[in-house]
Amino acid sequence: MSTHRKRSVSSFLLTSVTWLIVILTIFPILWMVFTSLHSNDQILNGITTFSLPKPQWVNYINMWDTVNFAVYFRNSLLICGATTLLAGTFAVLAGYALARFDFPGSKLFSMSIISTQLIPGIMFLFPIYLMFLWIKNTFGLPMINTYWGMILVYTAFYTPISIWIMRSFFVSIPRDLEESATIDGCTKFQAFYKIILPLSLPGIIATSIFIFLTAWDELLFAWVLTTSSDVQTIPVGIRLFVGQYNTRYDLLMAASTVVTVPVMVIFFMTQKYFISGMTAGAVKG
Amino acid sequence: MGLHTEKNLPVKAAASKRAVWRKRVRDNKFAYMLMVPTIIFMLLVHLLPMIQGFWMSFLKLNQFTLGKYLKAPFVGIDNYVGLLFNSDNPVRQGLNFAIRNTAIYAVIVTIGVMVMGLMMAMLLNRDFPGRSIARTAMLLPWVVPSYVVGVLWGFMWQQNGIINYFLVDVLHLYAEKPFWLLGPNTIWAIIIPTIWRGWPFLMVIFLAGLQTIPEDIYEAATIDGAGKLRQFWNMTLPMLKPVIAVQLLFQIINNVYSYNIVSTMFGNGAGYPGEWGDLLMTALTRQSFGYWSFGSGSAASIMLMFAMLMIVGVWYRAFRTELNAQ
Repeated sequence: MSTHRKRSVSSFLLTSVTWLIVILTIFPILWMVFTSLHSNDQILNGITTFSLPKPQWVNYINMWDTVNFAVYFRNSLLICGATTLLAGTFAVLAGYALARFDFPGSKLFSMSIISTQLIPGIMFLFPIYLMFLWIKNTFGLPMINTYWGMILVYTAFYTPISIWIMRSFFVSIPRDLEESATIDGCTKFQAFYKIILPLSLPGIIATSIFIFLTAWDELLFAWVLTTSSDVQTIPVGIRLFVGQYNTRYDLLMAASTVVTVPVMVIFFMTQKYFISGMTAGAVKG
Repeated sequence: MGLHTEKNLPVKAAASKRAVWRKRVRDNKFAYMLMVPTIIFMLLVHLLPMIQGFWMSFLKLNQFTLGKYLKAPFVGIDNYVGLLFNSDNPVRQGLNFAIRNTAIYAVIVTIGVMVMGLMMAMLLNRDFPGRSIARTAMLLPWVVPSYVVGVLWGFMWQQNGIINYFLVDVLHLYAEKPFWLLGPNTIWAIIIPTIWRGWPFLMVIFLAGLQTIPEDIYEAATIDGAGKLRQFWNMTLPMLKPVIAVQLLFQIINNVYSYNIVSTMFGNGAGYPGEWGDLLMTALTRQSFGYWSFGSGSAASIMLMFAMLMIVGVWYRAFRTELNAQ
């Protein structure tokens, strides 16, 4: 009886600790939204009560006027979307090749994919920046301040890790499926296209979301390779916003909330696929 | 006659080896076709810049020679020597602080996210009311973009901000409200938000890892009289070791190359947190672009890459058995 009571007491304690950590963890996000509904005077005086006086929804209107957020949004969506499409396609094709075929050079390629993750981004930054300048000077083709320049760079960066995620996903699909399909007269391509691709949809979704979220988060290259607001992405926009209106926390918190929301929506809509896809690679290796 | 065949044997073996190799290439035509787009892309936007980066680290590349691109004056290992031994080198400025801070930051963040992630995974692996809500809520920080993390925490760390309100007005931990974005405290102002954003991912990974461990081995251990702590040390940890090994490496790499949080938290977006919070990536980017010193910048990034390779070597030696068992 006493051990039983001891166990239920410790279980209650553990549950309380869990919930305390959960509350502390989500507090900063709630605080961001809560702050965004205050006027700037209230914020600068320091908010110390948790009751909301009168929601200042106007912050969510003013933020679009003060800084050209609509353009940043469009740029981010375009660049991240195209990157996801390109890198995702490459990852599906190459990931399948690496998962199923033991061809001369496959080991070398796997090794080089993993080793790309070791290279500091800054190591590419200087050469790519100078190469882009050189292309413009030599061929008259602008690369800096262009969508395709950013898409090219992002696609190249996120392809290797995406190949790795896709590869571990394809490995988890049994081989017999293609084998019986080829016996039935399918070509290798048909077996891949008609049988394996539909089955690997969760993996493709997981990989795509991973690419999109990573690109949505990229600041260093966007900061260096874009100087015109026509092509600058949200991270650059936020950083410029902080520089210009560093005391306008009302607008800053509203903008922070707005740029976080799409990511959260995408994430929670696809959470099931995303988590199973990501952990499949991480746990099974 | 016998001598003749023996002489030919290695040649024949080599020839047949080559034939087997050619056959394997021919049989895998489809695989190569799938690889072609990726290979072209990686050669152009990975290998080519890397080779250029190596070459640039031996060039005098500054605002005057920038237009010459790869034909800038060749200076041998001067950039490396300058970075290592010449304290007047502009890229070198503040680099010692950045190296020290990055080391502290990477170690504490890596340990922090792993420990917190594992702890939360174990807490959320229990059965309790509202578990699925708790699990989803815990994932939220992971979805917050890192540049928002910098802005948001920079706001919360302010002297009259909410963190000081909790620490001083509610908990009375300090007599006066401390400055978090100035002086030696700065490193914590960076470390804590990074851990906050990083641990949910580790929690997800560890949860998946914990769920692959069969329940009955714990039951058997309990019957044998092993306490919870012994079960954790002798069963849970060893079972998770391959997962821990892989995540440890990814975390170290990510944290050494961390940039976003610092650059949006400090200096109104200018990203200079002072000598107590500057990291390698922010320091190298700022100095190289500030002084148009791309030769030294490239040399510094190559040295950083080799330092990382050494860390990977140590990591591989430490976890060799777990990694090969997979």
